[in-house]
Amino acid sequence: MKPWTTLFLFLSVLSGVFAAKSTPDKFQKFHSLSRSGPVDLDNASFEDLTTAPRDYYAAVILTAMDARYGCLMCREFDAEWDLISRSWNKGSKLDGLKVVFGTLDFDKGKTVFQKYMLQTAPVLLLFPPTVGPFAKVEAEPVRFDFTGPISADQLYSWINRHLPDGPKPVLVRPVNYMRIVSGITILMGAVTLFTVLYPYVLPIIQNRNLWAAVSLIAILLFTSGQMFNHIRKVPYVAGDGRGGISYFAGGFQNQFGMETQIIAAIYAILSFATIALALKVPRMEDVKGQQLAVLIWGGILFGTYSLLLSVFKTKNGGYPFYLPPF
Amino acid sequence: MSVFCSPPAFSGLTALAMYLLTCEMSTSPSAGLLAAAFMGITPGYISRSVAGSYDNEAIAIFLLVFTFYLWIKAVKNGSIMWGALTALFYGYMVSAWGGYVFITNLIPLHVFVLICMGRYSSRTYIAYTTWYALGTLGSMQIPFVGFLPIRNSDHMSALGVFGLIQLVAFADFIRGFLPGKQFQKLLTSMILLIVGLGFGGLILLSVSGVIAPWSGRFYSLWDTGYAKIHIPIIASVSEHQPTAWPAFFFDLNFLIWLFPAGVFLCFQKLKDEHVFVIIYAVLSSYFAGVMVRLMLTLTPIVCVAAGLALSGVLDQFLVMSKPTAETKAKANAKDSKAYGKMSSPVVGIYSYFSKAFVSGSMTLYLLMFVAHCTWVTSNAYSSPSVVLASRLPDGSQHIIDDYREAYYWLRQNTPDNAKIMSWWDYGYQIGGMADRPTLVDNNTWNNTHIATVGKAMSSREEVSYPILRQHDVDYVLVVFGGLLGYSGDDLNKFLWMVRIAEGIWPDEIKERDFFTARGEYRVDDEATPTMKNSLMYKMSYYNYQSLFPPGQAVDRVRGTKVPTESPTLDTMEEAFTSENWIIRIFKVKDLDNLGRDHSNAVAFDKGLKRKRAAKRKGPRVLRTE
Repeated sequence: MKPWTTLFLFLSVLSGVFAAKSTPDKFQKFHSLSRSGPVDLDNASFEDLTTAPRDYYAAVILTAMDARYGCLMCREFDAEWDLISRSWNKGSKLDGLKVVFGTLDFDKGKTVFQKYMLQTAPVLLLFPPTVGPFAKVEAEPVRFDFTGPISADQLYSWINRHLPDGPKPVLVRPVNYMRIVSGITILMGAVTLFTVLYPYVLPIIQNRNLWAAVSLIAILLFTSGQMFNHIRKVPYVAGDGRGGISYFAGGFQNQFGMETQIIAAIYAILSFATIALALKVPRMEDVKGQQLAVLIWGGILFGTYSLLLSVFKTKNGGYPFYLPPF
Repeated sequence: MSVFCSPPAFSGLTALAMYLLTCEMSTSPSAGLLAAAFMGITPGYISRSVAGSYDNEAIAIFLLVFTFYLWIKAVKNGSIMWGALTALFYGYMVSAWGGYVFITNLIPLHVFVLICMGRYSSRTYIAYTTWYALGTLGSMQIPFVGFLPIRNSDHMSALGVFGLIQLVAFADFIRGFLPGKQFQKLLTSMILLIVGLGFGGLILLSVSGVIAPWSGRFYSLWDTGYAKIHIPIIASVSEHQPTAWPAFFFDLNFLIWLFPAGVFLCFQKLKDEHVFVIIYAVLSSYFAGVMVRLMLTLTPIVCVAAGLALSGVLDQFLVMSKPTAETKAKANAKDSKAYGKMSSPVVGIYSYFSKAFVSGSMTLYLLMFVAHCTWVTSNAYSSPSVVLASRLPDGSQHIIDDYREAYYWLRQNTPDNAKIMSWWDYGYQIGGMADRPTLVDNNTWNNTHIATVGKAMSSREEVSYPILRQHDVDYVLVVFGGLLGYSGDDLNKFLWMVRIAEGIWPDEIKERDFFTARGEYRVDDEATPTMKNSLMYKMSYYNYQSLFPPGQAVDRVRGTKVPTESPTLDTMEEAFTSENWIIRIFKVKDLDNLGRDHSNAVAFDKGLKRKRAAKRKGPRVLRTE
């Protein structure tokens, strides 16, 4: 038993020595690891990969995948990076052009992050070869900073610009058969469901009040700035610094999610009061009742409009107009 | 002069068109008058139609409203004449404004919805086919459009509906000859076949590249995150930002809450033309929410709907006579065919107090609307953007007139053909007020041109100078607000210049280089070297430190201290700086007479000893060439 272990140890040491000595072997080692996506690196293997005599390009993404770091971009880009690596290994490329794709997670490679003084993630480092046909004089890695969410295509074209000219593999997104199949299934299911339910659904679809409600709600949402919330991702409410809630954001160009809902509600009340005055009230046959309805709806209209004006005044300090109650 | 006068003149025509359009929607004559009055003064439209504004959008909105009026007429009457007139004005619209795509898609959508509602009639067929055939031919005459109507996805819906309406017309024709059951079978199989063929064909053509994908500007309306990533030039324009709710109220005042009420009234009547109002209302309120600029297309429909709603109220409450038993009976007979909850007949308003209360408060709202519009127009839209007004501590008005001062200087002191480079926002003003050619102006849609200016501004002098020479630039103009605290200056727009330049030259300009290691955009001592060496930074802060006691120079916009040493400029010299330093103009130096490069020449002038680049070491070699 014992002699065998020693032998194995000896052999593995030997192979390690050989690998460090001759770069083609080093490339082979990493290349074989990267058959299924980018190589997972740690401090030691990163050093091994990037030490000086290398006849290949090394593209390493330094990332922080763990949920603790809250790096959304790292997690989003991981799949894309996988895609780049796979596409490269599959396609045909220039003779002798070798690229190793690697991923170094912050958990496994804190020293590397310190070495390159990185404070943000993800960062892509592209090490040019030092020997071989494509060797570059300066061995310093080229750095790509992620300034926002980008797709694999953008990064791939960046990498390609730094590689020597010549044929390169095309980035191929795998066809998502699962998605196509499930899409077709859902579509057919929907068609079936529709055919079965047709007699019941038809009156709903043809219901004028339903369409009116949907349209009016859409209009109220859009005109109260819902799309602004969606695009700018504003907070729903914010504290006012004294433990309470401030419902209205300061400034003309800001708003909170709840603020827009309040405004939409105000618009809805005002519109409904107008509709009531125009359509409901003139159809009332009771004299007293009509008088009362006019007073109520007119009063609501007046009060709510006054509230709206006062809210607008808080948003726009110099606004000179107001109505009495508020 | 014609440029100066045309916006108000067209605004008058717009009000007229608005009256006609609204009268098509309602039997009450007051609705049209109210809508026209609203259109005349609402700030959402006045922003484009004040005298002196340079935009052709005032004309575009008139054409939009009038085209829609003609379209409604065409649908109502089913007449070729109205359809042809629609096409004529549509063609005019195409030549005037890129927003014609809105009409191109709205009219087909209207027809499509009508077909889905089972309201197909020969009138719709005649109106639509006439408009589509003539309008498309007309628009293809415009060089800018060319063959887009049959190749671009923006126009595909119009083509698709054109095909659809032929099929529907055919089915309608067949229906007269076949018994019901056979017709049903034929119809179902035909629909399946056509949809399958059409869908497959569309995919095939898109993949093979015959049909272009959606144009970027249009696409950014649907996927709101798209522009930010892919087309910085669109995202950079402040008018392309989403709209916060105060902007709606600011531009439309109480029309904004009459608007849903008016749309509801349209649902009550729901004839063909009301369907149009509803579709237009929903779509354009979405668009206005996504882009501030598209508030312009929302304004007309808001005026129509608000006119309908307000006339609905006033028509009831402004009648002097009280309802009697006789009118009640009449109303009963007349309204018996009405539907839904509102089926009880209209009797009218009994008491004078109710009438006075409602019409009084409505009059109050109307008066406030007028006051609001006057206030907004005088505060926000009529003060020309080239003159800034500020209040001094004692309350008196102080006019900051740096723009005009600088443009006048350019006009007086530079040769007629001197080329000025500035960021594109100032192109029109320089062209109009200083009468000098510019590299890019507000109407430049060539991304590369704008990116070239961005590159020149954001690169080092050694890189920028050849660019400036290549483009024959004589003067460079920058806007700097640091002294006055004017936040709309070029350093605040600088990142957009960098981004746009990066889109074309990603290897040379990198946005990341302008941020410090901690990701901050700084202009003080800790600014990145790239930032400090950029032409824009140098021009902005050149000699700025001399205004302050040593070490105390402050930038009032960014609220930071600026470096004690002034940046050096080798390839340009300061030509003019306005009173409040808002405009700074630099002259691009000519090539040096002695053939030195500019940094050497400047060093020589300063009396510095010439630096030898590197002492040659090693033995001398004979030149072999």
